Amino acid sequence: MPALLELAEVTVRYGGLAAVDNVSFSLEPGEVCAVIGPNGAGKTTLFNTVTGNAPTSGGRILFRGEEIQRLPPHAIAARGIRRTFQQGGLFGELSALENVLTGLHTGIVSGLVGLLLRSRRALAAEREATRAAYGLLQRLGIAELAERPARELSGGQQRLVEIARALAGDPPLLLLDEPAVGLSPPMRAALEAVIGSLAREHGTGILLIEHAIELVMNLADRVIVLNYGAKIADAPPAEARANKTVLEAYLGHA
Amino acid sequence: MMLPQLVVSGISTGMLYAVVALSMTVVYKATTVVNFGHGDLVMAGAYAAFVFTAGLGLPFVPGLVLALGVLFLMGLVIERALIAPILAGPHLALAMMALAAGNVLRGAARLEWGRETLMLARPYPQTAFLLGPVVLTMDDIVITGVVTLLLLVLFAVFHLSPVGKIVQAVFQSQRGAALVGINVSAFHGTMWGTGAALGAVGGALLALNTALTPDMGAWTLVRGFAAMTLGGFGSLYGAVLGGVLLGIMEKLLGFYVSTAFIDITAYVVTIAVLLVRPRGLFGSGALRRV
Amino acid sequence: MASPRRHQRRLFWLLPLALLPLPLFLDQYQQYVVNLMLMYVPVGVGFNVVVGNLGQLAFSNVAFFGVGAYTAGILMAKLGLPWWATVPPAGVMGALAGCAASVPALRGVRSFALAIMTLAFGELMRWTYIRSEWLTGGSMGMAVPASDLLGWRLDLEAHKFYVFLVLATAVVIATDRLLRSRVGRAFMAIKDNETAAAAMGVATGRYYVLGLAWSGFVVGIGGAMYALLVGHLSPDSFNLIELILEFAIIMVGGLGSLVGSVLGALVITATPEIFANFPGFEELIFGLLIVLVILVLPRGLASLLARLHPLFRDRYLEDA
Repeated sequence: MPALLELAEVTVRYGGLAAVDNVSFSLEPGEVCAVIGPNGAGKTTLFNTVTGNAPTSGGRILFRGEEIQRLPPHAIAARGIRRTFQQGGLFGELSALENVLTGLHTGIVSGLVGLLLRSRRALAAEREATRAAYGLLQRLGIAELAERPARELSGGQQRLVEIARALAGDPPLLLLDEPAVGLSPPMRAALEAVIGSLAREHGTGILLIEHAIELVMNLADRVIVLNYGAKIADAPPAEARANKTVLEAYLGHA
Repeated sequence: MMLPQLVVSGISTGMLYAVVALSMTVVYKATTVVNFGHGDLVMAGAYAAFVFTAGLGLPFVPGLVLALGVLFLMGLVIERALIAPILAGPHLALAMMALAAGNVLRGAARLEWGRETLMLARPYPQTAFLLGPVVLTMDDIVITGVVTLLLLVLFAVFHLSPVGKIVQAVFQSQRGAALVGINVSAFHGTMWGTGAALGAVGGALLALNTALTPDMGAWTLVRGFAAMTLGGFGSLYGAVLGGVLLGIMEKLLGFYVSTAFIDITAYVVTIAVLLVRPRGLFGSGALRRV
Repeated sequence: MASPRRHQRRLFWLLPLALLPLPLFLDQYQQYVVNLMLMYVPVGVGFNVVVGNLGQLAFSNVAFFGVGAYTAGILMAKLGLPWWATVPPAGVMGALAGCAASVPALRGVRSFALAIMTLAFGELMRWTYIRSEWLTGGSMGMAVPASDLLGWRLDLEAHKFYVFLVLATAVVIATDRLLRSRVGRAFMAIKDNETAAAAMGVATGRYYVLGLAWSGFVVGIGGAMYALLVGHLSPDSFNLIELILEFAIIMVGGLGSLVGSVLGALVITATPEIFANFPGFEELIFGLLIVLVILVLPRGLASLLARLHPLFRDRYLEDA
């Protein structure tokens, strides 16, 4: 059984600088893996290589055994890898519900003709999707925001909408880029519960960039520590916390 | 042996394109707005020159200078009143606003002079000289001479004068310039005015050779774009070189390949360059791809 | 779903029905003007899909319009086809032109560069009409022969009205369904945040082509309507001035709003007829109108209507 996600010696160079430097690791279904490191360590760039937004200068990325490093972002997303963005990831003009519906885009099967003729199949597909989208908003406790345009929502609410959108279609692999930023404590608790249940009950593989230590300690099965683009640790949270190299990396950047 | 003749006439037309493209580039560098109404400013400049010379009976050079002044003000007012308020907004609104402003100018020109065919009288005799295998008309000499002189003056001002240094600073970094205390928004207005005045020079030169019509703007706009695209969007030297190259290409392709190219070189160049090498010859990738 | 939405859908059917007796009250000239308005509905709708919904500065609308008109005219004049048979080909040729126009977008050309390129494309098309004298009559233009619809005369304005009403209604309803579906959402997503759209699995390239092809199809049909209505095609009808008129339609009506496209078509096409005797006045008015709309009412007339009654509320008018 190939791993859910495998990075093999992935490198990203911009000019002479290695933003990601020979990183290798793998992720299994149901694992929650936190990627941490000082600012500028290359965490978001790493995410971007997986989702196809950053070209790799070397190495391979395999999703369920298939090489994806040369695929365009939408093809990668269609294979079941979804993400949230550090900032500005939502569609401001669309409502919260419509934002989640775009996450279901690949799942709504309807041909152009059926769409134009309002065929039973097209209508049913749309209704199904709307129901599912609503359900996702409910799961994150923000169902009442469904009709509001996304740009009118608070930062924390927007974050939750983005997460709901990322969950659309039950993706086997989820990349969450600082999902807890701007969330109030009750929202964080909801987030933790959702991520936990996704991993344990649904078997979703989750890669998480996060600075909030408690979230990392509570949720992560493993922690990968990046510094200057290179992996300096790959261990369970308690172990990583005690690792000398890791401490030096953080202190060195302080 | 037509080649030298073609090149010479090509340079002459090319100089015209160069000054128009330069005027558009000045506006673009200052505000990153592509002025879709610039062709109509060129047209307005031509009509203004006409009004001051034929209409008010002034001699050519003072008439032209007044026309430049009027166009400077026009450019300034358009930028301050119509562009500045929406500068931070979507590109579509800026493109439309520029287009609409040009439209108003064109409509006004058509209302006033639409039914007449007007020409700008040449202040020089319409003679020609034979230079080896090449026939040089006075028009060629005047256009090339005026534009070259203008370019030299601009070069001197840009690189050697204190004003020029300020312009360079703002072109390089608006935020940096603002930090140093330069009034960037006044700069925007001034640059639109300058661009309009430069365009007016092109308009006047054009009107010496061809009839004044309200529709000369569209013709000019497309060729200005072609020159800017070829030379590289956002590059001042590129605009000039692109213009001259375009003029030469039109003549050469028009003779050696097909007369169709006299009309369509501009369109073909625009489409081809943007598809294949969007930053043109000297561009910095200003019109970046996604 | 929400009640206003269902009412809005009904409006698209009911309004045309209510207009059926109109020819009884109008003289030939007035009927011609109404027909002109109906002709501009698909033109505005198609343009708005690309500029308002997909959010791209593709200034190629006049190219689609011309291609549709000349396709219809040539098929009628050279092959003797009746007008109604030229409508689908006009749409198809328009759609093909739309696909051609999508090539730069697929190559990543955006914003002002796309605008310039599509402008050049439009001018190139116009040059083609002028140079293809054997086909199009060149700069003198070509006459479009009279036609009928299976025996029913089409040279009467009233008869054209009914045909145009059917076509315009069909275009509006079909586009409405398109925009309300995942396709419409994909358009808006791409307009708003192309990177995020791709991250959701939206194959952006496909939707560029679809948006421009749909636009071309619909505007091409408008072109065929033009051929029948005006009876004469000349390259000068498809120039920059025409483009600005079409801009005025979607900007004054309301960008991204289907209701806006219809409104704009009604309001703007009345203007040239009023000012036919004063060349230049029309351009002046359009220019001022667009300036005013951008400064004061950026979401167009439809946003005003939406404030009055939720029936006219469109997806894009939320902050009206």
